[in-house]
Amino acid sequence: MTQAEIKLCSLLLQEHFGEIVEKIGVHLIRTGSQPLRVIAHDTGTSLDQVKKALCVLIQHNLVTYQVHKRGVVEYEAQCNRVLRMLRYPRYIYTAKTLYSDTGELIVEELLLNGKMTMSAVVKKVADRLTETMEDGKTMDYAEVSNTFVRLVDTHFVQRCPLVPATENSDTGPPPPAPTLVVSEKDMYLVPKLSLIGKGKRRRSSDEDATGEPKAKRPKQTTDNKEPIPDDGIYWQANLDRFHQHFRDQAIVSAVANRMDQTSSEIVRTMLRMSEVTTPSGAPFTQPLSSNEIFRSLPVGYNISKQVLDQYLTLLADDPLEFVGKSGDSGGGMYVINLHKALGSLATATLESVVQERFGSRCARIFRLVLQKKHLEQKQVEDFAMIPAKEAKDMLYKMLSENFISLQEIPKTPDHAPSRTFYLYTVNILSAARMLLHRCYKSVANLIERRQFETKENKRLLEKSQRVEAIIASMQATGAEEAQLQEIEEMITAPERQQLETLKRNVNKLDACEIQVDETIFLLESYIESTMKR
Amino acid sequence: MASRGGGRGCGRGQLTFNVEAVGIGKGDALPPPTLQPSPLFPPLEFRPVPLPSGEEGEYVLALKQELRGAMRQLPYFIRPAVPKRDVERYSDKYQMSGPIDNAIDWNPDWRRLPRELKIRVRKLQKERTTIILPKRPPKTTEDKEETIQKLETLEKKEEEVTSEEDEEKEEEEEKEEEEEEEYDEEEHEEETDYIMSYFDNGEDFGGDSDDNMDEAIY
Repeated sequence: MTQAEIKLCSLLLQEHFGEIVEKIGVHLIRTGSQPLRVIAHDTGTSLDQVKKALCVLIQHNLVTYQVHKRGVVEYEAQCNRVLRMLRYPRYIYTAKTLYSDTGELIVEELLLNGKMTMSAVVKKVADRLTETMEDGKTMDYAEVSNTFVRLVDTHFVQRCPLVPATENSDTGPPPPAPTLVVSEKDMYLVPKLSLIGKGKRRRSSDEDATGEPKAKRPKQTTDNKEPIPDDGIYWQANLDRFHQHFRDQAIVSAVANRMDQTSSEIVRTMLRMSEVTTPSGAPFTQPLSSNEIFRSLPVGYNISKQVLDQYLTLLADDPLEFVGKSGDSGGGMYVINLHKALGSLATATLESVVQERFGSRCARIFRLVLQKKHLEQKQVEDFAMIPAKEAKDMLYKMLSENFISLQEIPKTPDHAPSRTFYLYTVNILSAARMLLHRCYKSVANLIERRQFETKENKRLLEKSQRVEAIIASMQATGAEEAQLQEIEEMITAPERQQLETLKRNVNKLDACEIQVDETIFLLESYIESTMKR
Repeated sequence: MASRGGGRGCGRGQLTFNVEAVGIGKGDALPPPTLQPSPLFPPLEFRPVPLPSGEEGEYVLALKQELRGAMRQLPYFIRPAVPKRDVERYSDKYQMSGPIDNAIDWNPDWRRLPRELKIRVRKLQKERTTIILPKRPPKTTEDKEETIQKLETLEKKEEEVTSEEDEEKEEEEEKEEEEEEEYDEEEHEEETDYIMSYFDNGEDFGGDSDDNMDEAIY
């Protein structure tokens, strides 16, 4: 864990779960796995608070525990999982695009609560949907659970590891911690539930005025005492599957930009066909014959088999090698080279960062070195057709920022500079790592800046919130227009202006965070796929 | 790194490599040594490109901000207990009890957690949400209405001239009002829900409440 990552984790934990959880979480990230009492002692926090924080962290899958010999339970933070919190909005949005509002709310609830039982999710989502509907209409549980099942079928939602049922509980003392078991075959198995009912509306409408609905844990509405049918079976969002979807989308849009809409549609079809059959970390998709692809093309996409074959040959000939030909049987077998595709996307990201940071001439040198692999300084100057002095300047600048690396090849064993070749090269993996590190730093800076901005204007924000609440309650009671206006005037013009500036700044910072996270995703996927090889 | 060997003052001939190779000509002076750290915010050489806009971006942005708000309202957001203040106040009874350290506000599935983590679970109050209602001191309004009423009655009574009766009447009225107030409080005490939102010890309101909004609350 680098300092930048720890810093970002700390900010994320603090923003989502408060100071105490942040303290415990960061301590665990820094020190690795630790038992309960040591954590309490080292952080100087009371034991009860540590327990609470660990409960929250485990509930949200951010910390795992393990029983060691002599019955000591050690807790370990999942740093990478903490960083994923940055991507929550994107997961929710993806669920919306794929499974509309119901899917959106299901994933949102799962992310907000870490893990939930299916019945709890369905109830909660149905209630929330009912509230947004017109009076008199309600959302059926059956409909929500249908969407839930679809999300599970497409692996976007998966089961959490189970606590095995203990029959022989009377033999010896119970273990200090349960051992969670992952059962591969049940991972995406939805228990048979008969969820009948409709979403309920909350009685008072006042709460709606405050904006976001209070996510109360549905389990605590203990008005129905009947046993929960799916007790103990918890579900969580399968982030890897979401990442796979993001990756596929990135590849499709890259193909669309490089060639055309039709070819991107073909690639999309290929990716969709191998979605569930290919494991998320595989470097290639399963080979698909052109006949299969032809049959699976979306209806209404009118291209003949011949055109498809031409497109496939074209795609396979493309120097980027997104699509590869793996055999000739069945009218030609094609695969998508996921590893190469991620590599190309990461390289393109690097190129564009160089272009935006150092200008187009530096980008020229960068691409040149990328293309030729190893170049001497003199060669760079010549090939780039940039005056020697400037070219050197640019080259050194990129070298000092670690985008370009230098390889020494001595002619004699004494490494004398005059008898050594100095070759400039781009090590994509290390450059990507460096950039990723910078991205973490930028996000941390963005969050810190946003928090600063909000803190600076805290008083003003509170005032505007209060005024808004008053206006809302007045509107509910049916006040006159003039009265409303009078209240609105409680915020003076300069204050209003200040509020607007703040809002614009915060929005910009938030949008930046989302944007940087997209780059983080690309670089991480590339690094991960390269490390697996 | 043999190239570092040549000190600044040693002259060019001392360097172990050909300086011209790194772009310093025969007559050029070596760049001066840097004696201070580079500026904290160096001027931007290239302006960043604007953020991509679009419906998707805006929706994700809204989702992000909403999620942040929602997270703070969940029981997973642990706040430290408020330290005991100097004196015990009568009003403390009616305030929402703040977070406490030795109990958890949500109900984890203990079967999934190590036994040592088990901690007392605090019952969630149902009226958790009501405190968000706009608070304001109700006294001012009553005072105002009272005074208006008083003034009005006084006005009337001035015309009637008989002063002694007036005082008596006034007193009576005041008593009546006081009784009413007391009665109200008793009644409401049972419905804790109302009291929670109703009561305000005036701490979070600056007392500069505008009289304009009197009608809105009731």
